Amino acid sequence: MSCVSHVSLSLHSKRGFDVRSFGTGTHVKLPGPAPDKPNIYDFKTTYEQMYNDLVRKDKELYTQNGILHMLDRNKRIKTRPERFQSCKEQFDLVITCEERVYDQVLEDLNSREQESLQPVHVINVDIQDNHEEATLGAFLICELCQCIQHTDDMENEMDELLQEFEEKSQRPFLHTVCFY
Amino acid sequence: MASGVGEQAHGSVASQFYSNEEETAFDMTTSEKVVELLNQAALISTEEKLIVLKQVQELIINKDPSLLDNFLDEIIAFQTDKSIEVRKFVIGFIEEACKRDNELLLRLIANLNMLMRDESVNVVKKAILTLTQLYKVALQVSLSVSDMQEACWDMMTQIKEDVLALLDSDNDGVRTHAIKFTESLIITLSPRTPDSDTPKKQEGDISLDKIPKDHTYIRYDTLCEEGKSALEQLLKFMVHPAISSINLTTALGSLATLARQRPMFMSEVVQAYETLHANLPPTLAKSQVSSVRKNLKLHLVSVLKHPSSVDFQGQISTLLLDLGMSQSEITRCTPATVQPRKRLHHDNALFVLADAPLAEDDEDKEEPAPVVTPKPSSSVGTQSAIDLTAEFLLPLLTPDNVANLVLISMVYLPEVMPASFQATYTPVESAGTDAQIKHLARLMATQMTGAGLGPGLELCKARDEEVKEEDGGAGESSSKDPLIIRKLSAVSLGQAISVVGAPAAYKTPITEEAPQIKKLPEPILPTSQPKAPGASGRKKVFKLADVVQPFSEAQIEKLSNMAIKRILLSEKVIAQSGMSHVRVKLLARLVTQFEGGKKNDLLQFILEDMRGRSELAFSLLYHEYNEYLSQQPSGSLDSYEHCLYTLLSGLQEKPEQRDGLFTKLVLEAPVITDSALEVIQRYCEDESRVYLGMSTLKELILKRPSRQYQYLNVLLNLSSHEKEKVRSTALSFIKRMYEKEHLKDCIEKFALTYMQFLVHPNPPSLLFGAGEDTEVASPWTEETVRQCLYLYLSLLPLNHRLVHELAAVYTEAIADIKRSVLRVIEQPIRGMGMSSPDLLLLVENCPKGAETLVTRCLHILTDKVPPSPELVERVRDLYHKRVPDVRFLIPVINGLEKNEVIQALPKLIKLNPIVVKEVFNRLLGTQHSEGSSSMSPLTPGELLIALHNIDSSKCDMKSIIKATNLCFGEKNVYTSEVLAVVMQQLMEQTPLPILLMRTVIQSLTMYPRLAGFVMNILARLILKQVWKYPKVWEGFVKCCQRTKPQSYNVLLQLPPPQLPNILS
Repeated sequence: MSCVSHVSLSLHSKRGFDVRSFGTGTHVKLPGPAPDKPNIYDFKTTYEQMYNDLVRKDKELYTQNGILHMLDRNKRIKTRPERFQSCKEQFDLVITCEERVYDQVLEDLNSREQESLQPVHVINVDIQDNHEEATLGAFLICELCQCIQHTDDMENEMDELLQEFEEKSQRPFLHTVCFY
Repeated sequence: MASGVGEQAHGSVASQFYSNEEETAFDMTTSEKVVELLNQAALISTEEKLIVLKQVQELIINKDPSLLDNFLDEIIAFQTDKSIEVRKFVIGFIEEACKRDNELLLRLIANLNMLMRDESVNVVKKAILTLTQLYKVALQVSLSVSDMQEACWDMMTQIKEDVLALLDSDNDGVRTHAIKFTESLIITLSPRTPDSDTPKKQEGDISLDKIPKDHTYIRYDTLCEEGKSALEQLLKFMVHPAISSINLTTALGSLATLARQRPMFMSEVVQAYETLHANLPPTLAKSQVSSVRKNLKLHLVSVLKHPSSVDFQGQISTLLLDLGMSQSEITRCTPATVQPRKRLHHDNALFVLADAPLAEDDEDKEEPAPVVTPKPSSSVGTQSAIDLTAEFLLPLLTPDNVANLVLISMVYLPEVMPASFQATYTPVESAGTDAQIKHLARLMATQMTGAGLGPGLELCKARDEEVKEEDGGAGESSSKDPLIIRKLSAVSLGQAISVVGAPAAYKTPITEEAPQIKKLPEPILPTSQPKAPGASGRKKVFKLADVVQPFSEAQIEKLSNMAIKRILLSEKVIAQSGMSHVRVKLLARLVTQFEGGKKNDLLQFILEDMRGRSELAFSLLYHEYNEYLSQQPSGSLDSYEHCLYTLLSGLQEKPEQRDGLFTKLVLEAPVITDSALEVIQRYCEDESRVYLGMSTLKELILKRPSRQYQYLNVLLNLSSHEKEKVRSTALSFIKRMYEKEHLKDCIEKFALTYMQFLVHPNPPSLLFGAGEDTEVASPWTEETVRQCLYLYLSLLPLNHRLVHELAAVYTEAIADIKRSVLRVIEQPIRGMGMSSPDLLLLVENCPKGAETLVTRCLHILTDKVPPSPELVERVRDLYHKRVPDVRFLIPVINGLEKNEVIQALPKLIKLNPIVVKEVFNRLLGTQHSEGSSSMSPLTPGELLIALHNIDSSKCDMKSIIKATNLCFGEKNVYTSEVLAVVMQQLMEQTPLPILLMRTVIQSLTMYPRLAGFVMNILARLILKQVWKYPKVWEGFVKCCQRTKPQSYNVLLQLPPPQLPNILS
């Protein structure tokens, strides 16, 4: 299972999932002092370095908006963010939290040469990238993942499950399948 | 990685320079390691097992492939593992192994085939994935290895068909995998062309163009056809109205892949996209519509980027515009280099599915008629029909017409906006422009063609037929064509007009246009209304009742019979699966609810193998009974009875089976009906099974108290059965039951009732078995008499009191019966013994008319044993006080006093000679060997003397002489000594007994050596003045005469007066 979003890392706290989180952009963007001034790092930067960088820039601001907390948590899970497009491992399920990311994932997956034809389901749940929405969304995704994990036959039951979730959460879900 | 492999290879070459021993040692350890791992794997948990197995795979596939062959079987053995993951691993292993050594496929294909049928969908899906890879391998191997068995390829072909069939699977995931398989199959089974966009990793893959046309069993043509058929299946699958969103997404992707890798299919693909876009499945939810449209856009772009899309750029762009892509983006994706059309066209023309000639038809009028294409494919016709119709419509779409169409179509708008429309509607930006009108015309044409309407279609049809005629039967094309068209036709009628993303106008039914298109053979009028209930298509709510018709009674009957028969015949299969109990229950349930034939079928089936199907039998029986109970109080037991009766008769008629099933059935049946009881009786009457039958009956009597008398009666009736074995068995059972207090009365009553028959003048018809109505009175026979007595007589030794009843009956019976009775009572009377108080009482009372009976009893009792004092006393009493018949005394004669015997002698010797003989036998102890034990009250001598002393007034001389003769007959008893004593004593009596001399002479005749003694007697007689007794004297003279000359001495002693008497 893979989850393409920053918020997805919160899934790590839940046991029982084999989760990897990724970014899809060319860079890692974190909120800055203003919406048009994000902090931008490349994928080589470690969480530790980002953390230190932000502490240095404005510790109070980044503590207040939770970014430092998130980075602190993330660095305990893995050293640095990963880019989805660079990952050659095969997943069963990819969850994205933004349509733009979903499109990028689809484009990437479709541009790869098909080989094993192993299916990978891609689901998008729109979640705005702020801390509060992210927490809410994290719960929703977590619940969805739990439900999926409890299915006997994921592929056969996915459709119905998503319909239910759509109705429950009042959010449209995008769902497709690609092949490795 | 690549460099790593190189180094390794280098290393192994280098290692050859080292010692070979080291290498073998290395091999050994690998092999041993594998063995060890495999041993581990057999014992550990699934998770660990997978890890270990993966290590093994790494070792024997990558590290040392020479070991692969050795351990293949061991790994494959895990294909039956309980864990799904392990089974999936085996599939993965098969794939890797076959890729490593293609020829292994020969051995492994059957396993794969088996795993394809696994119960877990996840295993099946994995198998399909692997097959997708291995199909190519199989084809490759078939071509390269000369001895590749054809069977292997045949099997692969079969598996391929199986996977294609899974497009109809119930499982979404399985269908998804099947689609991907189909995609790969189509690519393999179509030729790669220069414009094919082949992924690098699949460069080496086999495809149709590499198939030689002269292979022994791989046929180029067949493969080509199979490929086309697969494509058709895929297209057909796509237009299924209830296709799931994921399947649709998958299929869209597959089409894009096909279009890029096999541009010859570009036309089919684009058209399928167009059709889909205009007719999104109504079952999709709103968000699914968005997902699908997103995919469609993605794939259209990827197709558009392919250079061969050049002919379809217009259509693709239109679609992309509708999907919300801006013109600039579209242009950016359109390939810059436009290849010359002609070249493309000619390339494709070689391949059957090429559509270029027809597609170009509209524009390039100078092109030759499409007849040049060898086999115009289905899609060619459709494609071109759309184009033709669109062209036809274009001039008709005047503002007036369009406005009218819009107004009319208002009526047909659905009440709720369909999700697909809502999601996809974009305002028409360029309304009224040429491009837009063209687009509109094309959209309408798609709908009309789909509905099977329009001039284009007519034209194409005509053309197709022409082609077909020319092809001379080879044109299978149009036969497949309708499949697609029909699907489409369902779309455009009625509500289907609310097609996405365009002004309502062009979705209007074209009624308005009808008058204008006079040249059409058929008016398009019908489109305004649904032609038939079924034709209104996709959006119509599916109602089962619309498409099915009720079966007739007979059909229902037949079908249900067949269904039950199938369940019946599936016995073994179900037994193997361990679900027999379900089957049994199901059958019993079903059959109980139906009347007639099914029940008999089932019963017959059970009886074919009663032992094996007893469970079914019982289940059925209980269900029948339950049915009866549930209908209380008005329920009828008929059905249950029929079932029980059939089962029991079936068992009864079958040859002997020693399994106690009959007993079991009888004892476990909830109720034994009358007819069932009849069967039980028949069973008991079968000599070979009488014991089993009666044991069963006994159990019934003892364990079913509510009707035990009814059951007992059956057994009792059998006690007078004509067959000896049946009778005796019944009797022994009854005797045992007679010990039970509560049954005793009933049994006795029955026995006595039967005995009472004997007083009737004729035997009752009852004795001749049921049904034989003997109106005509037949006489009693020995046999019928016995029949009435069997039971009684066997009870008699158990209950002596009954003997009085016999006496009562006896007195009233006729002589014939009496005789018979006397003959049959020996055994029971002897069984009672002379100490029996009741028997003694009988003797004492001796009812009038029962004398012979009593006598017979006495005889039987004393036949072998001496009479007891009690018995003697009773008889004496009887004789003296009530019935002075001397015959009573005979049996007990040895128990009487000497004087009693002597007193009775005169009467006794007057009896029938045979009886007299018996009396003497008793008295002389000459009767039996044990005779010695019975002490006679008289010695032989005393007897003979007693005879001589019988008063002639009481008995005639003749009888006495006969009696003495009997004595003389017993030479062993009457020895010379005994006779001497007798003569001596008689001679001393006064007066002399009349028969004295007779006895003397007789003795002398028997023992001549007694002559001296006789002389002595004679001499003594002279002293007793023998001449005074005329009879004796006569004998004396006779004796003297016989004994001359010895008698002279005696004669000399005679006084003179008597002497002349002798001499004269």
